[in-house]
Amino acid sequence: MLTEPKLKILLNLIKGSGKEELIWMNGYISGIINGDVSVVEQKPVNSGSGKITIVYGTETGNSKRVATDLATKAKKNKLIVKLASLDQYRLTDLTKEENLLVVISTQGDGEPPVAAQKFYDHIHHNGFRLDNVKYSVLALGDTSYPLFCKTGEDVDAQLQTLGGKRIVPIQKCDLDYDTDAETWFNQVLQTLNDTVVDAPVIVKPVPQTGVKLNTKKIYTGTVLSNINLNDRGSEKETWHIELAAEDVDYLPGDSIGIVPENTLATVNAIIALAKINKDNPVKHKEVEYTVFDLLKKKANIQFLHERVIKKYAAIVQQDIPEIKMDLFDLLNIYPVKDDLQFAEVLEMLPTQSPRIYTIASSNAAHSGEVHLTVEKDVFVVNEENKIGVCSDYLTQLTGDATFEFFVQKNKRFKLPAADKDIIMIGPGTGIAAFRSFISERDATAATGKNWLFFGEEHFASDFLYQTEIQNWFETGVLSKVSLAFSKDTPGGVFVAHKIIENGKELYEWIQSGAFVYVCGEKTPMSVEVEKALLQVIETYSGLSASAALAYFEQLKAEGRYSKDVY
Amino acid sequence: MSEKNSLSNIEKIKQASDNLRGTIRESLHDAITGAIREDDQAVIKFHGMYQQDDRDRREERAAKKLDRLYSFMIRLRLPGGFVTPEQWIAVHDIAGENSTGVIKITTRQTLQLHGIIKSKIKPTIQAFSEAKLDSIATCGDINRNVLCSSHPKQSPIHKQVFAYADKISEMLMPKTKAYYEIWLDEEKLFDKKEEEDLLYQDRYLPRKFKIGIAIPPNNDVDVFANDVGLIAVIENEQLKGFNIAIGGGLSTTHGNAETYARLATVIGFADSEEKTLKTIYEIATIQRDYGNRSDRKLARLKYTLDKYGVEWFTKELEKRTGFALAPAIDYIFTDRIDYYGWQQNAEGLWYYTVFVENGRILDDETVALKSALLEVAKAGKANFRFTCNQNVIISDVKKTDKKIINDVLERFKIISHTEATSIVRKNSMACVAFPTCPLALAEAQRYLPSLITKIESILEKYQLLDDGIIIRMTGCPNGCARPYVAEIAFVGTGPGRYNLHVGGDRIGARLNKIYRENIDEAEILQSLDGLFKVYAADRYADETFGDFCVRQKWVTA
Repeated sequence: MLTEPKLKILLNLIKGSGKEELIWMNGYISGIINGDVSVVEQKPVNSGSGKITIVYGTETGNSKRVATDLATKAKKNKLIVKLASLDQYRLTDLTKEENLLVVISTQGDGEPPVAAQKFYDHIHHNGFRLDNVKYSVLALGDTSYPLFCKTGEDVDAQLQTLGGKRIVPIQKCDLDYDTDAETWFNQVLQTLNDTVVDAPVIVKPVPQTGVKLNTKKIYTGTVLSNINLNDRGSEKETWHIELAAEDVDYLPGDSIGIVPENTLATVNAIIALAKINKDNPVKHKEVEYTVFDLLKKKANIQFLHERVIKKYAAIVQQDIPEIKMDLFDLLNIYPVKDDLQFAEVLEMLPTQSPRIYTIASSNAAHSGEVHLTVEKDVFVVNEENKIGVCSDYLTQLTGDATFEFFVQKNKRFKLPAADKDIIMIGPGTGIAAFRSFISERDATAATGKNWLFFGEEHFASDFLYQTEIQNWFETGVLSKVSLAFSKDTPGGVFVAHKIIENGKELYEWIQSGAFVYVCGEKTPMSVEVEKALLQVIETYSGLSASAALAYFEQLKAEGRYSKDVY
Repeated sequence: MSEKNSLSNIEKIKQASDNLRGTIRESLHDAITGAIREDDQAVIKFHGMYQQDDRDRREERAAKKLDRLYSFMIRLRLPGGFVTPEQWIAVHDIAGENSTGVIKITTRQTLQLHGIIKSKIKPTIQAFSEAKLDSIATCGDINRNVLCSSHPKQSPIHKQVFAYADKISEMLMPKTKAYYEIWLDEEKLFDKKEEEDLLYQDRYLPRKFKIGIAIPPNNDVDVFANDVGLIAVIENEQLKGFNIAIGGGLSTTHGNAETYARLATVIGFADSEEKTLKTIYEIATIQRDYGNRSDRKLARLKYTLDKYGVEWFTKELEKRTGFALAPAIDYIFTDRIDYYGWQQNAEGLWYYTVFVENGRILDDETVALKSALLEVAKAGKANFRFTCNQNVIISDVKKTDKKIINDVLERFKIISHTEATSIVRKNSMACVAFPTCPLALAEAQRYLPSLITKIESILEKYQLLDDGIIIRMTGCPNGCARPYVAEIAFVGTGPGRYNLHVGGDRIGARLNKIYRENIDEAEILQSLDGLFKVYAADRYADETFGDFCVRQKWVTA
């Protein structure tokens, strides 16, 4: 089909390209064919060379400072950089890195810093290869110690042993490390730049797999990690869950839906109480299950609605007060007569409905993963503490557990164009959406300014994602962070107060075209926040109350005020 | 390389700090972190505080994506270690509200509070100020809290000698108003001439500078461990003047052979207050001008003195003071102890020295020391003095009030607690170390009490339990608990491991030496068992353990 010269160019291009480049070209061309590519731009500098990950192992904070400075510098140059402390870096990501830069200090006896010990052990004791990883090491030390920069040397040698390719040789620095660090980093960038041909990058992502619209595709997620973000002494439990799930089609602002499974203890207790074989077949909404599977995975068996209680009362022919009750309690207090009655009960049980959680990750930053921020939902029913079924289920999942989910799109909660400024108001688990937003903007080197409002109870124990937020602030991704810790101050300070406090600047941002987002608790949070925003507009615009309201309505109409509240 | 280019980073921070202001105000407003900005961490030391974090919690918090759990230690300036009952009550209340609650008596006769979060620093300092207490210059490269022999029974003219601690402290205070501006919201100074500092200029000293005053024959202040040590010369109940010793200092760095512990060298005698103060002042100016400002590990006065020589130093001092010191007058030290229990001074006032293990005042399972001291303070009949062995002396009690105080001490079982403690435990001392000290390599104050219990049973085996052997432990080689002048010292090298030093004398006039390196508890106990066995069998009458170790050539003195 192609003329000879064109074919030759194409073949040459293919011959000289790596697998990843070919995949990219494939997507790019199909994008053009489908007319999806509206914007094609030359990515600045050399980000075609792939992502850079800077990890640091620090004891005194020097390595962190250097690493942060370098990341900031790189970001200013529009490079895509991930920055992580080695005690927070997921070691299994090592094999997936493209360009890994390690900034690490050495302790007195030639030991790694405590924060880097796991990384150090991991690369020395686990059999894996780093053949596709390019790396370089910046070692900090003190020449007055005999084992100067020993840890850096060890890491450098071991990464090579594992197959890693040195970008530039290890740079060892004494106490005055600033100049050496900068020189090393410039060499790294120069080398990367020289070895990679810049390629045009499509801003709009090309869909990689044929996801059909209007049908909810079911994905399977495998739990990679599940950690309680709240520290000891907190009254809350907020779990950060990382799932491995390939090719999930979502954008920042979207949510996932999960059907929680009931706890094994509850299900077994019910089966024991009903004295029934758990493998007996049973029908539910025209589908056949075993008793166990139905109770475990499909049916709602807790806090049953008054309507369901009524149905149950009819089956067992007893008077039952119409309050929310658990199936176990019903069976215990108002037992069924026989297996037949039990089957009837099973059949009328409502189907477990999916719970929706805002996604806390971004495909651009966390490829192949979906992250969630789930607060353990503790509430009181009939003077008894109960835990929400889904948060209970999710927060107890351990590594390698799998579950199914679907993506719930939210078209009204989307990032604006990359150059627009955004104001994010997300106290509590509202932070989830904004962790996704900020990660996305960081990973795509978006130029718009970002301002985060966050609030929780206590600074020391409840500052969700504190170190990530600090990194974004230090590297300039977040230009402003406003915080409200309600229980640290007598009388309580909330994000709404912070909005008023920063009213002048906030209004200037809005006037300059900033997009405003609110995510989190519906009441009282989002109500108070809207009141505060209105007050700010009125105060600083000089408009009347009704005109200010119109201004606010206009923001909504323009899609510059969005909320995702629950 | 010019001196200017090789200045250490801290030197640059000091000079750029606008007389110790730095960006502390801005740091206090950084809501995103419990820490203060890096340069300010050096500057606030001069205001008497350190930034620390709970090292036990680092790993767990990192996994939770939480920053380190930062807090601050604030140390008071108490020359000679003295507070009124009203001041004690204030410290007690502030500790309860803003810190961990534990009041720590330091090895330099002062008090410090730990665990104060960033937003509580200002309220803490303001509350101290209301009680006429401050924390100026208790850390940092500057003259630190001045020590003085603590017990008034030490001499009929103790009060006269004690007054020098205040005078020296005042003379060497920095002139900057930064402390008052930042913490006490006093008006900003516009005319910077008001705070022109002829002594410290804008660079302060190259390193910490410590001064102690001893009244022989008790060397309770470890006078030779100070940059400047004053040894009072008293004849016929008259203060004749002071022998001046310079260049003491204990901190070393593992693996850095250029660093070493050094005892102060006596360079002469000053026979008047004016000469004494002038001499101290000019020693500080020489150190300011000649101390090493490029390598902080080699910046103490001891290195300056050894680099230029004692002869050069005394000549330079003479040039600066305009007079020559007289030859040193003979002195003799026989002890290095606190006088526990009830004691009386020459005037007939009563003193009760309470044993405080590692200086930590709190209510624990064994004894409600903190409550007891509060009760004593509330009675308003006694002052509080702190010793270099981290104990408290309930002081200046009139004969008519003694029963009231004694009843409180009995009721809280303080007397039985003090009396039941073995002499070896009373003589032991440890630094803070884990979890807050950023320098710690091994445990110290959390661990020494249990190790002492094990050592006690070995001593008991050899019937040595009444032998007042001086044992000290530090979590690193920096020497906060003055380990190198102990008879037995444990200097932390890594988790659970210590260098074992022996051979220091009982009066603090001879350094010990490393006997075993990098050993764990089992090896420590095994080593000591062996040594005590020989000591019990072969010692001369009245021979101390430290002296015996040297005679046996276990170490060379």
